[in-house]
Amino acid sequence: MTFDIASPPRQGGEARYDPAGDMTDSTGLLEVRDLAVHFHSAEGTFKAVDGVSLTIRKGETLGIVGESGCGKSVTALAVMGLIPRPPGEIAAGQILFEGEDLARKSASELRQIRGNRISMIFQEPMTSLNPVHTVGDQIAEGIMLHQKVGKAEARMRAVEMLKLVRIPAPERRIDDYPHQLSGGMRQRVMIAIALACQPRLLIADEPTTALDVTIQAQILELMRDLRDRTGTAIMMITHDLGVIAELAHRVVVMYSGRVAEEASVADLFNDPQHPYTLGLLGSIPKLHVEEERLATIEGTVPNPYSMPTGCRFNPRCPFAIERCRVEAPPLREVRPGHRSACWRAPLEEHVL
Amino acid sequence: MLLIGFLLLQVVPTDPATVLAGPTATPAEVQALRESMGLDKPVWLQFVLYLGRVLQFDLGRSMISNTAVIEEIGNTIGPTIELMLASLVWAVPLGILLGTLAAVRRGQLLDRVIMAFSVAGVSMPIFWFGLILIQYVGTALELLPFQGRGGPLWSLDGLRHIVLPAVTLGGVFVGPVARMTRTALLDVLGADYVRTARAKGVAEGSVVMHHALRNAMIPIVTLVGLQIGFLLGGAVVTETMFAWPGVGRMAVGAITSADFPLAQGAILILAVSFIAINILVDVLYAMLDPRIARR
Repeated sequence: MTFDIASPPRQGGEARYDPAGDMTDSTGLLEVRDLAVHFHSAEGTFKAVDGVSLTIRKGETLGIVGESGCGKSVTALAVMGLIPRPPGEIAAGQILFEGEDLARKSASELRQIRGNRISMIFQEPMTSLNPVHTVGDQIAEGIMLHQKVGKAEARMRAVEMLKLVRIPAPERRIDDYPHQLSGGMRQRVMIAIALACQPRLLIADEPTTALDVTIQAQILELMRDLRDRTGTAIMMITHDLGVIAELAHRVVVMYSGRVAEEASVADLFNDPQHPYTLGLLGSIPKLHVEEERLATIEGTVPNPYSMPTGCRFNPRCPFAIERCRVEAPPLREVRPGHRSACWRAPLEEHVL
Repeated sequence: MLLIGFLLLQVVPTDPATVLAGPTATPAEVQALRESMGLDKPVWLQFVLYLGRVLQFDLGRSMISNTAVIEEIGNTIGPTIELMLASLVWAVPLGILLGTLAAVRRGQLLDRVIMAFSVAGVSMPIFWFGLILIQYVGTALELLPFQGRGGPLWSLDGLRHIVLPAVTLGGVFVGPVARMTRTALLDVLGADYVRTARAKGVAEGSVVMHHALRNAMIPIVTLVGLQIGFLLGGAVVTETMFAWPGVGRMAVGAITSADFPLAQGAILILAVSFIAINILVDVLYAMLDPRIARR
């Protein structure tokens, strides 16, 4: 099967994803349960991900937001099976993808899945492509590997992929080397590589961060269009809430290796239930409100080797009470489909 | 280089005219010879005249054999190129292989063993390694000949004769190449595009060979090119030790017998080879790196 860019989206718009959830398919496409990823170094054990659970349903786009170092990229690398071992290690938890636990799979089994059923695009389009191979070869490599087709066939599909990601003159561009393409074009090539084997899940780790704003918008638009056309589920990792608003159905907010809040995009923006989310939303500049300074979250991310006891956000939290300093809050449902790891949620009760 | 070679021979406390005239010559004969050779002229003028002749490919005549220096070089350059190639052809691939293994097994026992050997190889004087080979393989076991060139390389005897010199000269080259390969490869293995290749599900062996090593070749070739000068120096020692009829041995002979034109010619040709090899390296770059080729 190949993509046909002339054909209309299979189900049109966002209809592919049913926010209410398909009750017969409760397991979801990807289900991460209590994942813990540790890195061992001379200074001690760094718990980059410490008990994260999240679910992505078929065709759904899940946004993962958080500051640098909150564990969002490490979660993604764990799903890909790309945690460098040593020093890293999946210490606990399950990564269920279509019912199979990826955390228990061997390296060669994971290779069968990577780039085939799950693929990934990275933050740095300028350095993520191999400078000594043509973009065509780099797209064709994955196709030949996973679909067991010959060189000529793979090349034809590579041209199709370039067409799909809207690179002009794909027959000519296919023989270009990465340095002959702009940053935006390179990210399009990365997307082409990632989608070449029609994955069920696409992990996008800050795909637009390194691009300038107009190109960002184009890439997001392309990703949304391809998602609607192919029905690929997306794990969208970003620290840009604007990207989440553009593309995601649901959002997971991460802080210090844990999930702070999980909700649909509308709920998260309209009614955040974790003080950290509140802080993140407060730091977005608004065009219609005149502000001297943007709201910031006081303090800094905790030192990974000496985490605060109780809730990890408590030293920076304006809502913190004694309990927050002693006992870590579990992720609990505030409203159907909206969960928050905060003792004080729902927060509106405490705001005058 | 031309100037250095020229000046070095100027400061040698031997008068070429005295040597050429022989022990029985009278002072007047020596003086006449000196004038005919232009040695009475100031040093700078001698150099300018020498430059002028070099530009016309006239390197003078050997004071010992009276054959043209250019002809002597023509006779000896072949064996030298032969020896250099025979050394590189096994030393560079072996060095790259060892360096790759060390990089892939970084920090493990294999890495440490390879790096220990590499340090030993780098620190080992070439003449010592050659002497060890001559003593054990050449004289004690009498496995291989160690004197001279046995004939053309495609004959069995020629092949047997080149083994020991090529092992000696290449032996000191394996270590540096292995170290360079390891460093370059470790650098490249951390690159984003290597992660991309892994994310595509490419097997680790192919990630290293197809994606990483191809990129690491650029710094490896640079460093190998720079080290060729060192190899040329090694060729002089090796040729002398194994009586290999190359430019290096000729240069040593010419210097010890105060055959100035021949020595100058030999130094010149070694310098020119060094430059030629560096040009070759630049051409290789363009083949390895599309970013340079299209510029």
